[in-house]
Amino acid sequence: MNNQKIRAIGAGVLVVLWIALTAVSWFAPPKDISEAERRPLKQFPTTNATTLLSGKFMKDFEGYTLDQFPLRDSFRKIKALFHYNALQQKDNNGIYIVDGYAAEMEYPMDKASVERAMGQYNKVYELYLKNSNTKIYNTVVPDKGYYLAKENGYLSLDYDAMFSLVRSKTPWAAWTDIADCLALEDYYYTDTHWRQEKILKVANRLLAAMNAPPAQAADFTAKPMERPFYGVYYGQAALPMEPETMYLMHSNVIDGCTVYDHTTKKTTPVYNPAMLTDKDQYNIYLNGPQSLLTVTNPNATTDRELLIFRDSFGSSLAPLLLQSYKSVTLVDIRYIQPEFLGKFIEFNDQDVLFMYSALVLNKKLI
Amino acid sequence: MLFSSIPFLFYFLPAVLILYFLVPTKLKNAVLLLFSLVFYAWGEPKYVFLMISTICLFFFCGIAIGKAATQKGKKLWLTVSVVISLALLAVFKYADFAVGSVNAALGTSIPLLKLALPIGISFYTFQCLSYTIDVYRGDAAVQRNIISFGAYVSLFPQLIAGPIVRYVDVARELDHRTHSWNDIALGLRRFLVGLCKKILIADRFAVLLNVFRDSSQQSVLFYWMYAIAFMLHIYFDFSGYSDMAIGLGRVFGFHFIENFNYPYMSRSIGEFWRRWHMSLGSWFRDYVYIPLGGNRVKPLRWVFNTLVVWMLTGLWHGAAWNFVVWGLLYAVFLMLEKWGKPIIDRIPDLLRRCYVLLVVMLGFVLFNAVDFTQALSDVKGLFGLNDVPLITKETLYYLRSYAVLFIIGFIGATPHVRNIGCRLENTKFGAFLEPVLMIAALLVCTAYLVDGSFSPFLYFRF
Repeated sequence: MNNQKIRAIGAGVLVVLWIALTAVSWFAPPKDISEAERRPLKQFPTTNATTLLSGKFMKDFEGYTLDQFPLRDSFRKIKALFHYNALQQKDNNGIYIVDGYAAEMEYPMDKASVERAMGQYNKVYELYLKNSNTKIYNTVVPDKGYYLAKENGYLSLDYDAMFSLVRSKTPWAAWTDIADCLALEDYYYTDTHWRQEKILKVANRLLAAMNAPPAQAADFTAKPMERPFYGVYYGQAALPMEPETMYLMHSNVIDGCTVYDHTTKKTTPVYNPAMLTDKDQYNIYLNGPQSLLTVTNPNATTDRELLIFRDSFGSSLAPLLLQSYKSVTLVDIRYIQPEFLGKFIEFNDQDVLFMYSALVLNKKLI
Repeated sequence: MLFSSIPFLFYFLPAVLILYFLVPTKLKNAVLLLFSLVFYAWGEPKYVFLMISTICLFFFCGIAIGKAATQKGKKLWLTVSVVISLALLAVFKYADFAVGSVNAALGTSIPLLKLALPIGISFYTFQCLSYTIDVYRGDAAVQRNIISFGAYVSLFPQLIAGPIVRYVDVARELDHRTHSWNDIALGLRRFLVGLCKKILIADRFAVLLNVFRDSSQQSVLFYWMYAIAFMLHIYFDFSGYSDMAIGLGRVFGFHFIENFNYPYMSRSIGEFWRRWHMSLGSWFRDYVYIPLGGNRVKPLRWVFNTLVVWMLTGLWHGAAWNFVVWGLLYAVFLMLEKWGKPIIDRIPDLLRRCYVLLVVMLGFVLFNAVDFTQALSDVKGLFGLNDVPLITKETLYYLRSYAVLFIIGFIGATPHVRNIGCRLENTKFGAFLEPVLMIAALLVCTAYLVDGSFSPFLYFRF
């Protein structure tokens, strides 16, 4: 075969590929959601004179074509592989992978964001806690970067500065450091979260700080979930990663508790079977991101009550704290304004724990 | 619409190609005009009417110049066309700059027009001007078909970022061009080369430039990385766009002039400008510098001519004082080079190349600054006068992360890759490699587009 023929065949393959991608782009039915990215995909935009003349149609159409492009996830994988291997870039869209662990490069510390979150903490304190007979505790959940970034040459938050800032802005709360209770292995490979079956040490550190009896490992059984777990970074990294197994910590106490959702006014178990099929499997812990829940423990050994201001890390930790409390109320001030809390909660004689993750504090989410 | 976007690559381009090659020859320019207007309206829905008006005005000016019986009449219509083009630029591009400068100098508060700058206005007004001037000079015949003229002005491959194609260069091809599989294949290859330069190199450096600006841990090394990254970014962005334009032109049977010739290999600033944005440099030479008298005048007049041309070159790039100073900086170096030629000629090539790169880099630092304060701060940062450390943890991270890209950028800015390609051209290995690389280029560029967000071209607003 002469060179010209080889070139002609190659050019033909290129044109066929181009035409095929074009044809599928034009005629394939649009998809509703992206499983890998956990989000709805953009649909064909509204077409009228206003959207055309303002340029809105064109902008929305671009988003639509990107979202609906054929083999979108495969193309994202090609990009990630090229980015890491050919260009030797150390992160892809801010996600990096070391020793199989995918993590988000959260950097630098956003002082204003942390101060804003502490402003919300202080609002809660001034409105409800200052003159109540509550005991207040504070901690910050370190993200995976705490154990992964520095050793591997990646950028990360200045955790010492963040913890110090949190402490200085909440002098009314007793600080508990939990960073030394954790290790990299306590987090999922493909997700931002810690593994519930690995955080008993954290639970006991906090229980000790609150003068509550420790949780005994023998009381718990870790039961695997049937569905494979694909964490949030699995989709974001777009690189070949193995799914994981998620475990739920069961005990007589946990299984005997009921959870009341003040928003939906529904009562469910701690691990709601209805959430087993949820897109985000981590939502199995106390129904995922909910603004206000109360867990009632009929088998409690004390009359003590616990109030936790928390994110999803707190949702997976809370079941391990249950045995010492008659009731545990979980509040997420990302979804409910502190001003409304007085309508639902009577602040008196509780243990109060503020525990948000470093990622949430740094991302202007509170 | 951007060339480096999914709507262009997989919607617009296939549609225009299918229709263009389906219709008979006499309708091809109409298809090009129609799609070019759609292409323009995609980015500037309202200003497409401004473009249509400009096409009509210059078309009739051309006819009028051709019909005028006397030289005086021809001159009158040429003047009309020059006034129209300058008025367009004055209103849409320079009015707020002038008003702002007056307000700053005199403490007045004359309100600004705040008009959005129509995309590509500097390119298409210059093309229109070249048409009427060439018709006036007798270098080009009058175009009597408004469809053909409209297709020339609005031709989407080079509409928004050049090269600035002169009417005389494409006049014949506008009415009598041929199409061949060879041209289509070579055009697509050139287009994909440009696409790779834009998406895989220029856009990656754009990310680093943003990181630098957002950084709270700048360092001397980071300033140098920023300056070099901007040099590579602007080169690959702009030359990538020119490659895509030239490639697309070839697919449609046009042979546009080259716009870049490895400018970072230059041994003098004069040579740099003969290799960088060549279509703009030659436009100013032929339509401003030479009519002013060029260099065949007394020394003081030559200094004046040089300063005028380079001030206009600076202003063409942007309506701000830093662009004016950027242009004048080159004027100064060009004059110094002319006067110091006997000494410069004795300097070794390596040192001369380093001198060019340093001057160009400092020029681009000025070019890319939002104002003089930032430009001064950036230059001070480069030389450690900004109270920043020599190096930080963040700088090291990005140095490691971008090391390969810098190496690719350095090699890609030299003719080595082209030379290797030429050597392989007629070998069996080369025949296999070329289509494989082209397919890989399409897939990887598409992958970046699908994964990435909107990234406009740098030269979009000129």
